[in-house]
Amino acid sequence: MMPSVNRILLTAVVVGTTGCQFFGSVDRDVVQKGYRGTAMEVNYVSRDQNAAMAAMAAKMPAILPPAGESPPGPLPWQNVQVLNDISVAEFNRTMIAMATWVAGGAGNCSYCHNLASFAADTYPDGKAIYTKAVARRMIQMTRNINSEWTEHVGNTGVTCYTCHVGKPLPNGLWFYTDENQILRHYLDGAGARVTSKTIAPSAANRSSVKQTEWTYALMISQSNSLGVNCTFCHNSRQFASWDQAPPQRVTAYAGIQMLRDVNTNYLAPLAPVYHPSRLGPKGDAPKAQCSTCHNGVYKPLYGFQMAKHYPAIWGTHTDWVTPFPPAYTTPPAPIVMDTVAAAADSAGMAATPAGVATPAVTVPPPPAGPPVRTP
Amino acid sequence: MLEYQNLFTRVQVRTAPDPGLPIDETFGQRYGTGVFNYWAGKLGDAQIGPIYLGFWGIVSLLFGFLAFEIIGLNMMKSVGWSPVEFIRQLPWLALEPPSPEYGLQILPPLAKGGWYLIAGFFLTFSILCWWIRTYTRARALGMGTHLAWAFGAAIFLYLSFFFQPLLIGSWSEMVPFGLLAHLDWTSAFSIRYGNLYYNPFHALSIVFLYGSVLLFAMHAATILAVSRLGGEREIEQITDRGTAAERSALFWRWTMGWNATMESIHRWAWWFASLVGFTGGIGILLTGTVVDNWYLWAVKHGVAPAYPAQNVLTPEQLEALRGQYPSRLDNGFPTYIVPAPTTMTDSLAAPVDSAAALTAPATPAPGGTP
Repeated sequence: MMPSVNRILLTAVVVGTTGCQFFGSVDRDVVQKGYRGTAMEVNYVSRDQNAAMAAMAAKMPAILPPAGESPPGPLPWQNVQVLNDISVAEFNRTMIAMATWVAGGAGNCSYCHNLASFAADTYPDGKAIYTKAVARRMIQMTRNINSEWTEHVGNTGVTCYTCHVGKPLPNGLWFYTDENQILRHYLDGAGARVTSKTIAPSAANRSSVKQTEWTYALMISQSNSLGVNCTFCHNSRQFASWDQAPPQRVTAYAGIQMLRDVNTNYLAPLAPVYHPSRLGPKGDAPKAQCSTCHNGVYKPLYGFQMAKHYPAIWGTHTDWVTPFPPAYTTPPAPIVMDTVAAAADSAGMAATPAGVATPAVTVPPPPAGPPVRTP
Repeated sequence: MLEYQNLFTRVQVRTAPDPGLPIDETFGQRYGTGVFNYWAGKLGDAQIGPIYLGFWGIVSLLFGFLAFEIIGLNMMKSVGWSPVEFIRQLPWLALEPPSPEYGLQILPPLAKGGWYLIAGFFLTFSILCWWIRTYTRARALGMGTHLAWAFGAAIFLYLSFFFQPLLIGSWSEMVPFGLLAHLDWTSAFSIRYGNLYYNPFHALSIVFLYGSVLLFAMHAATILAVSRLGGEREIEQITDRGTAAERSALFWRWTMGWNATMESIHRWAWWFASLVGFTGGIGILLTGTVVDNWYLWAVKHGVAPAYPAQNVLTPEQLEALRGQYPSRLDNGFPTYIVPAPTTMTDSLAAPVDSAAALTAPATPAPGGTP
């Protein structure tokens, strides 16, 4: 008799303690996001959240004190191709901030400058400073994001630090490989929708299950990038429905279009500027994805408003002309991807099913011009 | 002497092994004379063997082995023939069906799905041979063929994953061979066709699946509860009802007002189990062929409840946000489009009156236009 009683007591203790840990934890929080009973909710562990926020805050550089008075008169700089619409004091302050955000320290001017001549675009040995050329383009990109893409970045905006977090290379950069083809969605204009808009099958949507897996993989990469689950942006009973989706999905959709603008008009065209060691295995420039800015957080830097302290990265003046230095090497040839179509061509597949064109899959240089706003 | 028996049987019989009935051994013979195993006896009968394979059994094993080898060697090849990587990545390795480009081509290049079709053919042939074996063995032993037909229900579900792609017009829609790959396929299949949970035949299949579990538990518990009264001798109790049958029947009449009988409970169980595969197969065959979005179907027929919108969007916003189907771009997000069969009516381009009445929602869906 006693062993049974002991066993029951032991079971009660084990179930009680583990159960309380799981169900009664004060750390674990569930926030209802949608209509009751629809399981539209966000689960998170506030202890983990708080620790992550504290770690982020500890690393983040302090906001620089406001710029002082500038001497009157025209700007004294030579060869200032961007940021030439702000005061001298604000310009200096921005340069110091950028060294902290990107180059690892306020004194690290030499990451982008020839210390013997700050105006020069070349090192003393005559070689082009590619980081300087890239930085100019990145400043234009940041202004473009903050002024043109408020649908995604809101009033918070972005700074160099949002992506760079103190390092020369942001996280989550990607290159063309045969494994990450889903990320090409962030560069090109193809749709990703696979669920039909009609009850009956139609020729309009012939997406295969494999196509669905591509879209699924793309969505999971976004989920990982933001540290959220599907219901952050979707009602999972019908992923395609906009009415039933949380408003965050509209923001995310603008984010995809912003990424296409950033990748097409700013990052990919820099390929000839970079030192060859910065290029991908197929000779393409590093490109951004959601995790590049978000770093696993649903709002980059947990929504901390760093950008509002730096007027230099705001403004609509983005039409500076910044000539690129001569390329290190000849620009890479258009990239042939190992897709099924290309493989089929190479395998001598003469007869392909009617109605399906199998063009050579190449990556042409992206067009210059206004932001790509439609998918 | 009555002996209490739990999952691990405490009493094991040791005598001369029972070779079974005399049978026609023209096409095959029994191997061995049977041995006793202590651990087998813990869970069930202690006697192992003799084993009868026969013609269909040998053919089935042979083709099953071939399919297994083709799948395994293709997985091995995908990790560069590294045994360590093979074991480490095994859950993620897969032999994938051909790409949609190949449509219903009989044999695409081996590395592009040809091996998949060959392995699938061998596996299917092996399963069908095993079905013949269950049928002929039951007949040879003078049994009914209930087992063969229940197995047939499962094979029907298996084959519906072959016939549905056939109706769609592309091998690419078939289930990949792989541990996580086939689970990913399940998820993608459901998303592609607008949430399979709204497929009524999928729902029926789940009902019968969980119903089978419930019936199994109820039956097993009932028989174990009356085994001290002779309840496990169910066949005798069917024709010569004893106190075990009376009491177990009484138990259920008192607790839920009605009871199955010693015989009918087994028919219940057989039908529930068989209908899992049968209804599931029908649900698969209707998906992508008759219904392309089960959620919209459920909205139309009042199955899916409507909730207040979370996103209040103007028609213009909705139009701007509406996602586009993938199309073949020269340089784009990878697109795998199943070629449209020429016979397929384009319900978007030309809604025919009768077809439109059946398919197109007359009014905007209450749950909103996805």
